[in-house]
Amino acid sequence: MNKSFRYKLNIFLFLLPALALFVTILIAPIVMSLMYSLTKWNGFTTPEFIGFKNYVELFTSKSINISRALKNAFLLALLSCCIQLPFALWLALRLARPIKGKTALLSIYFMPVLISTVVIGQLWLKIYNPDYGVLNVLLRAVGLEKWTQIWLGDKKYALGAAFVPILWQYVGYHMLLMYAGIKGVPTELTEAALLDGCTPSQVNRYIIIPYIRPILRVSVIFAVTGSLKSFDLIYVLTNGGPSHTTEVPSTLMISMLFLRNRYGMGSTIAVMLIILCFFFALVINAVFKEEK
Amino acid sequence: MKKILSLALALCMIVALFTAAPVKAYADDEVTLTLWSIATESDSSHQAFVDAIAAFEAEHPGVKIEHVTTENEAYKTKIKAAMSSGEGLPDIFFTWGMGFLGEFVNAGRVYCVDKEYEAYKDELPEAMTVNVRYGDDNSMYGVPYTMSLITLYANMDLLAEVGYDEIPATYEDMMACCDALVAKGIIPFGVAGKEKWCLSEYVEPLVIKSVGGQALRDMYNGEASWNNEGVVKAIEAFQGMVDKGYFDPSANALSNDEVKNNFIAGKYAFYQNGSWNNKDIGEQAQFNVKAGTFPVLDDSIPLYSMIGGPNNTLAVTESSEHKDLAVEAAFFLARYMSDADYKSGANLPCWAADPNAEVNELIQVAADMASKAEDMVLFGDNFLSADAANTYLDYIEMAWAGEVTPQEYVEGLDADLG
Amino acid sequence: MNSLYESKPKRILIYCLLILWALISIFPVYWMLTFSLKTNAEIFGENVAGLPREWVWSNYTRALHTGNMPRYFLNSLIVAIATIFITLAASVMATYAITRLRWKGRKRMNSFFMLGLTIPIHASIVPLYTTLAKIKLLDTLWALIIPYSAFSLAMGILVCTGFMGDIPYDLDEAAMLDGCGTWGTFFRVIVPLMKPAVATVGIYTFLQCWNELMFANIFINSDKWRTLPVGVQSLSGQYTTDWGPIGAALSIATIPTLIFYVFMSKKIQDSFIAGAVKG
Repeated sequence: MNKSFRYKLNIFLFLLPALALFVTILIAPIVMSLMYSLTKWNGFTTPEFIGFKNYVELFTSKSINISRALKNAFLLALLSCCIQLPFALWLALRLARPIKGKTALLSIYFMPVLISTVVIGQLWLKIYNPDYGVLNVLLRAVGLEKWTQIWLGDKKYALGAAFVPILWQYVGYHMLLMYAGIKGVPTELTEAALLDGCTPSQVNRYIIIPYIRPILRVSVIFAVTGSLKSFDLIYVLTNGGPSHTTEVPSTLMISMLFLRNRYGMGSTIAVMLIILCFFFALVINAVFKEEK
Repeated sequence: MKKILSLALALCMIVALFTAAPVKAYADDEVTLTLWSIATESDSSHQAFVDAIAAFEAEHPGVKIEHVTTENEAYKTKIKAAMSSGEGLPDIFFTWGMGFLGEFVNAGRVYCVDKEYEAYKDELPEAMTVNVRYGDDNSMYGVPYTMSLITLYANMDLLAEVGYDEIPATYEDMMACCDALVAKGIIPFGVAGKEKWCLSEYVEPLVIKSVGGQALRDMYNGEASWNNEGVVKAIEAFQGMVDKGYFDPSANALSNDEVKNNFIAGKYAFYQNGSWNNKDIGEQAQFNVKAGTFPVLDDSIPLYSMIGGPNNTLAVTESSEHKDLAVEAAFFLARYMSDADYKSGANLPCWAADPNAEVNELIQVAADMASKAEDMVLFGDNFLSADAANTYLDYIEMAWAGEVTPQEYVEGLDADLG
Repeated sequence: MNSLYESKPKRILIYCLLILWALISIFPVYWMLTFSLKTNAEIFGENVAGLPREWVWSNYTRALHTGNMPRYFLNSLIVAIATIFITLAASVMATYAITRLRWKGRKRMNSFFMLGLTIPIHASIVPLYTTLAKIKLLDTLWALIIPYSAFSLAMGILVCTGFMGDIPYDLDEAAMLDGCGTWGTFFRVIVPLMKPAVATVGIYTFLQCWNELMFANIFINSDKWRTLPVGVQSLSGQYTTDWGPIGAALSIATIPTLIFYVFMSKKIQDSFIAGAVKG
């Protein structure tokens, strides 16, 4: 056998398991979704080719109201970037310094990440319960009766109430990522800066944060794409209600697919989601590269 | 050592996985039929299913029925996914009539039982099969076992506090009663705003009692416009009830099970929902409970214009490998379930019932209403196809939330259901 | 010491904030454990957030007897372990081909795999269902293991690339000179040195597949193959108004992971951190 052929064969064999999984489970379904998205199909009969009608309908139909779902997802991404990540960064910066009880705090902060999303959803459902939930009971106990709400059932508060557990659960995840990055900053750098008379906050700002930029990039990508495709907690907590106020693209997609039997439209939303996630991953990458 | 142990553990798991892989083991002379239903352990029909299966297996040695239960909402997703791919389908499945089963029938996934039905005609009246007939030739694709009617349950102890010893018989009296309840700090109605179909359990009786059965059926069928004075009046009435605070203010955060339990715990004066609640309410409520129907909005409409009908159905898949046996089992189980659910007070029978059976008071009232019914129109979300049904429920939710006026409601339905 | 630069009141304030967040992080779990041992009367009024006055262990027996929690737990465990195993094997092999073997297009291949980081898992549900049904894997644990592995692959390769970069190239070359072929080098040099990656890939994969609800709900029909998230969700549906048994079910689903975490938290964090740094 030719040596270079054998080498190539080996390369192929090494890639084979990963490629096989990747192509059959990730790539092929995307291609199939793309095809379905061009059809009118209820899942049972033969799909009927209708070109880009689904896409047109998706962006013009008032009853689907994709703009509301997108707005919610973007809002979640924004909150994630503006509240969750800075807070996680603050925690990480704090814990990277010598402080009593650091190990315990790290472990506690990371704990929600390890708990099943369904369990978290069920717990928060109970926390928000208007009659017996801890939140309202607590408010009543401290005399803030006025502030009690039907958190997940009120159009004004449902979205915020549904976002809180999502943001809460992953603070620890991002904190640990960033903490890891900070621990990787060479101590000579920070010590030299301190000797030069920099305050700790200046050290954070001019040395540590620029140094951990690659990790911040990963965190931002995860936070943004994670928000765009968020599903589990919303599904358990509100399933899009009340009156669709907490709808996100994934819940819309699932209701198109399995409630309305509109497989064509469901696939259209799936394609849109994939494109959005790619687009934002690229943009974030570009932003972080440019600033370098 | 630790590593070896953990490796061994992992290996064991993998081996267990392979050996436990679901190769269905058929003994040579044994047939296994699979049945999918929503009768999970907490469902009031669960025991009836278990007994029915045991009875069938006893009569057919060598046949086993594997009963796979899934919770209501998850079941809809699951049966649709399976129906759409046509793979991994059970032999027999639970379904609702009209729209829900209709899509599976159109896809050619359901076996037509016209031929077999002949043998059961005497026991299962043809009138009970209207919701499982499709196509130009009106062929029958499922075996109904129980029917449900929207029932108004009343907590008579609470009504007594405002001076009523009967469910108010006229609309005006009903409103007066609710006002009195509100004034006393009692919530008149419990409803689960989280589940849209529960809202329709309040809207549909108002609509049918304002326009009559045939008109409503025509609207569902797309043969008449929703833009009808009676519908507008019914939605106005519904929104008026919402505005006057007749419904539980926490409704939007509650699921139907929670609402039902609240009613049983005495929190509401009324609870309007399907007659499948007879058993739970009859057995668990610690107060004097009465069942009835909502009064009419328009005096020309008969009081017993009911929402509901035969809808709980068993059907056989076209892909079943043992169709004859599966059809036999479907009829057997349906007959058994009809009887068992009736006797246990869980629901009304589709099959001829034993006239001497001792049943609880609530189911007697339901049976009485069914026999007096002038007209019966199936639940809207069962009647319509999936897409239309969800649009329809969305409109009901919008009316509930005050996002549409009655006029916008009817115009919207005309535009979007078209 | 950096912290010397802060005034005392400020330090105390920061400490309070850190502890407050710790309480917020831990409270739901504490609450779950306590209400899983209470009667409805206590949960619904007398004693909402305190320790149970009367310890109702029967909640746990009820949760264990309806549905089949131990079985669900075992299924979840099998799925997680098998997924980790497959992900690890496939990613180490692929990483070896991408970083150690020289060929045109390996960079592009790497970016191709990295696409997987952004693809939403739920977008492929219908095509996957049809495919799994055709190859008769529906309603088996494989219907979860295979998709979970595929979706964990991108992260696995990312982490493995970091770890493999630490292995000096001299070792490969020496092995090659000794007459080990590509496969020999892989098994004798690379695989033994990739041990630290095992824990890291394991953690990330675990986080991905332990929680998943949608696939688990749709691809599995039989009770005997159900995983924890589905089991917990359906149990909560059945006991809507009886919070004690729900709390017990939630606790049963959570406690083993928590115990494991308490004993292994240092190791878990280190592995997680390793992934962040290498990736």
